[in-house]
Amino acid sequence: MNGDKNSASANKSTGAVMNDLRLEAARKRLSESRSQEDAIEGLREIVANFLGSEEIGLFKVERRTATFQVYWSFGIDVENYDLVRALGEAGLQRVMRGECHVVRPDRDYSGAMVKVQAYIPIRFANQTVAILAILRLLPQKVAFDKSDMELFKLLSDEAAKPLFGSGVHSTPVVDGPGMRT
Amino acid sequence: MSKKILVVDDSKTALMMEREIVERRTTYQCVTASDGQEAVEKALQEHPDLVLMDVVMPRMNGFEACKRMRQQPGTREIPIVLVTTRGEESYMEAGFQSGCNDYITKPVDSAELVALLQSYLGE
Repeated sequence: MNGDKNSASANKSTGAVMNDLRLEAARKRLSESRSQEDAIEGLREIVANFLGSEEIGLFKVERRTATFQVYWSFGIDVENYDLVRALGEAGLQRVMRGECHVVRPDRDYSGAMVKVQAYIPIRFANQTVAILAILRLLPQKVAFDKSDMELFKLLSDEAAKPLFGSGVHSTPVVDGPGMRT
Repeated sequence: MSKKILVVDDSKTALMMEREIVERRTTYQCVTASDGQEAVEKALQEHPDLVLMDVVMPRMNGFEACKRMRQQPGTREIPIVLVTTRGEESYMEAGFQSGCNDYITKPVDSAELVALLQSYLGE
């Protein structure tokens, strides 16, 4: 059994092994966060070091008012950007259902006020409790690739608790339609 | 005896990843520091065979740490590779002026990093 496992591991491409290391490092960084502030710093580090962007916005879904509140941002003056509106109603519904929305580089951004490259739902208990928007990529990062999608999935599944702490339990459960941006 | 790399980054995530790459994908040992000042001290104590260092860090940035290491007889000859999110030519030029040997940008391509380390240290 072990032999098979080792053989499978040896056959794994270097890229796949490196991707596993990256996912492991991201998971460990989030789970070992000492506080919400440290988790936010961890999120910034993961996006900058692994996904290649230093422009990030995190929007928490606000149940009572059916709106999105800026929870934290880095590298952008988020008050000037209507980032969630740029996603559009259909896109917003998909993200609220738990799908990542990645903007293709050749896409027409008509209607969007800024060029958000990816929207990642942050999920807890099968609900989207926040949306992570990743904006401009670093010049050396051309586009997101398949391994980045795995990291998006990890953030989507595992970031809520470290980021919001016990507050995650009181986060909203409103799904897509009807949300005001 | 295996070669030793001093990995320097204030980001715990980057430090964790770079350390994992070095320890799992090469035969080199790894020691770490979390800012430029600590890097200069560790370089004098540990005598690494190569320094892999971030640029933007608190207390002392990578450029300044690089300059300091070049001024000290004990660390003058150690190859230094700077790692940063900033890929602009002017920024890289500043890195080389500070005395680094090489420069790579984040997100780090792991295979590229291993190849670069091996080009300095052998396999």
